[in-house]
Amino acid sequence: MTPERLALRDAVRSLLDKHSDVRAAIETPHGYDKDVWARLCDIGVLPIPERYGGSGAGQAETRIALAELGRTLTPSPLLASTLAAQALLATGDEEACARLLPRIADGTVATLVWPWDNAPASLHGTARYVLDGDLAEILLATDGTDLYEIDLAGVTREHTPTMDQTRRLATVHLAGAAATRLGRWSPGIRDVALAALAAEQVGAAARALELTVEYTKTRVQFGKPIGSFQALKHRMADLHVLVETARSAALAADDEVSAAVAKVYCSEAFFKVAAEMVQLHGGIAITWEHDAHLYLKRAHGSGQLFGSPAVHLERLRAKI
Amino acid sequence: MDLDLDASTLEFQAEVRSWLAAHVRPLSSMDTARGFEEHRAWERLLASERLSVVSWPSSYGGRDASLLQWLVFEEEYHASGAPGRVSQNGIFLLAPTLFAHGTDEQRARILPSMARGDEVWAQAWSEPEAGSDLASLRSTAVRCDGGWLLRGQKAWSSRAAFADRAFGLFRTGPGERHRGLTYLLFDLRSEGVTVRPIDQLDGEPGFAEIFLDDVFVPDADVVGEVGDGWRVAMSTAGNERGLTLRSPGRFTAAASRLVELYRKNPDPALRDRVVDAWIGAQAYRLHTFGALAHPPSGPAASVTKVFWSELDVALHETALDLLGEVAPGWRDGWLFSLSGPIYAGTNEIQRNVIAERILGLPR
Repeated sequence: MTPERLALRDAVRSLLDKHSDVRAAIETPHGYDKDVWARLCDIGVLPIPERYGGSGAGQAETRIALAELGRTLTPSPLLASTLAAQALLATGDEEACARLLPRIADGTVATLVWPWDNAPASLHGTARYVLDGDLAEILLATDGTDLYEIDLAGVTREHTPTMDQTRRLATVHLAGAAATRLGRWSPGIRDVALAALAAEQVGAAARALELTVEYTKTRVQFGKPIGSFQALKHRMADLHVLVETARSAALAADDEVSAAVAKVYCSEAFFKVAAEMVQLHGGIAITWEHDAHLYLKRAHGSGQLFGSPAVHLERLRAKI
Repeated sequence: MDLDLDASTLEFQAEVRSWLAAHVRPLSSMDTARGFEEHRAWERLLASERLSVVSWPSSYGGRDASLLQWLVFEEEYHASGAPGRVSQNGIFLLAPTLFAHGTDEQRARILPSMARGDEVWAQAWSEPEAGSDLASLRSTAVRCDGGWLLRGQKAWSSRAAFADRAFGLFRTGPGERHRGLTYLLFDLRSEGVTVRPIDQLDGEPGFAEIFLDDVFVPDADVVGEVGDGWRVAMSTAGNERGLTLRSPGRFTAAASRLVELYRKNPDPALRDRVVDAWIGAQAYRLHTFGALAHPPSGPAASVTKVFWSELDVALHETALDLLGEVAPGWRDGWLFSLSGPIYAGTNEIQRNVIAERILGLPR
């Protein structure tokens, strides 16, 4: 990592250490802490060029921030707004970029309705599992060919609670809403989404393992820290290998194949680490009070988001 | 292997099947106050047909059913989608201990009300610092006039939030670790008992901590000899790890549901895992039927515990992957399956038992 990126990582980590409280955030009406989100926007984690009011951060910087948000499971509109901003930039529509990107850079929640679940792209249908879909003030959608700005006046939408309370998802009914064409839809947004999510998954997996290692160093049974038992040590060593290889897969994601690889590998790695986190903690991880179940539920939810590993394996099979 | 059932077992199977078909209803979660009472009422209904404890002697409310008939009952029970057993800790853990180590007086006093669900039992073995290392437990029972006074703290006590009574291990001395422990029964509503429910990862209080502050237990509620509690507890711990707590019926039923789920959501990428899970359930069933003459107990029960608990996780994870983000009907089962490799002695402990006591590897 370059010194600038390390500094960004440290700034985000220190912000989240001080201000992020996932339990409090998921109890708020919007499911995220608006103050934390405002501070993230101030740091400039959104991938928006300076000429559109952004910080000039690129996708690499955004992924660094997403990894940090993954570590603490902090709910935030970053993923949704990133995808909307990138889809907008890809149209090359100067007017729309100049009008909408500065607002997004300032923290206005934006989201994108796109057919990641392989449902036919439509401007008149119902989209499920839309990130921040019930909160977004800027709503973009694609019909598979072009990108449109949707007039919220004609849209009905509702929060869709899922097992993972740390990610806000909604069902959005577009039928009857007015849509303004902005420019061409870029299918490469899928790769942007998969790579961004993989970064977040790796951050969460790494933290889940850290917490597990810390616990096994302090929990004493049979007169020793349980982390001294080889049966547990080897499992955590294997998990470390998994997290580090997942990190490499996420970092390498920059085209269709590598993004799909990252999605499959990081989804499976995170799920494995979170499931082992529960087992290595034992009874305490079965409690609501302990955070292990939050990691586990996030792992399951993010595995399904933007298509399950099985879906992307099928794509890869066809591709390679 | 010949799995054909004899005429009387077939008749029993038909009776159980039709009774369940007529009576099974969905109930609220047993880890809520309302759901707990619904499950207690279900136990009473089962008992009214002498179906709550079929393998027990008829004098205690059972049917003297053979182990084979019990397995058949369990298969029918799980296949019917019948509710979880709120009384299972008593029926499958305490009752075998009373049959082996209790007195006639204790059996006559305790078992019929357990069979009817009038008294629901919780297990009070683990403590905050004594989980896998159970022998390090520190709660004490001190001699007093006519009995014992319990003092200390128990943890991870399933059902204790709403149960009536508990069975536990307490240090009576002399000696350390496995020595000087006594197996005692106590009332969760006695003076000096504080129960603090703990919410589980599904948000419901499935287990609790129990704080004991000079809780009186009469001599009549000591099971086995004073100071012999470890042997008394361990002689039947195999029931928890082995087949009685987790009969194959539970897994064959879940495997059938999984296959049905696959038919509705076919996903070639997951086909092998569905089939593997189904094979696992069949293998466990065959293993159990094959072991009928010599049911697994002691160290052999550790083999089945590792097998069924990891099978249960695999079954549910596969279902979840088939379903995606929203997993109605499977989510609670999945979350519960995650505790399988932890309770009843973690699978790490089971593997130590297998390695040291079956394979004879050095400690």
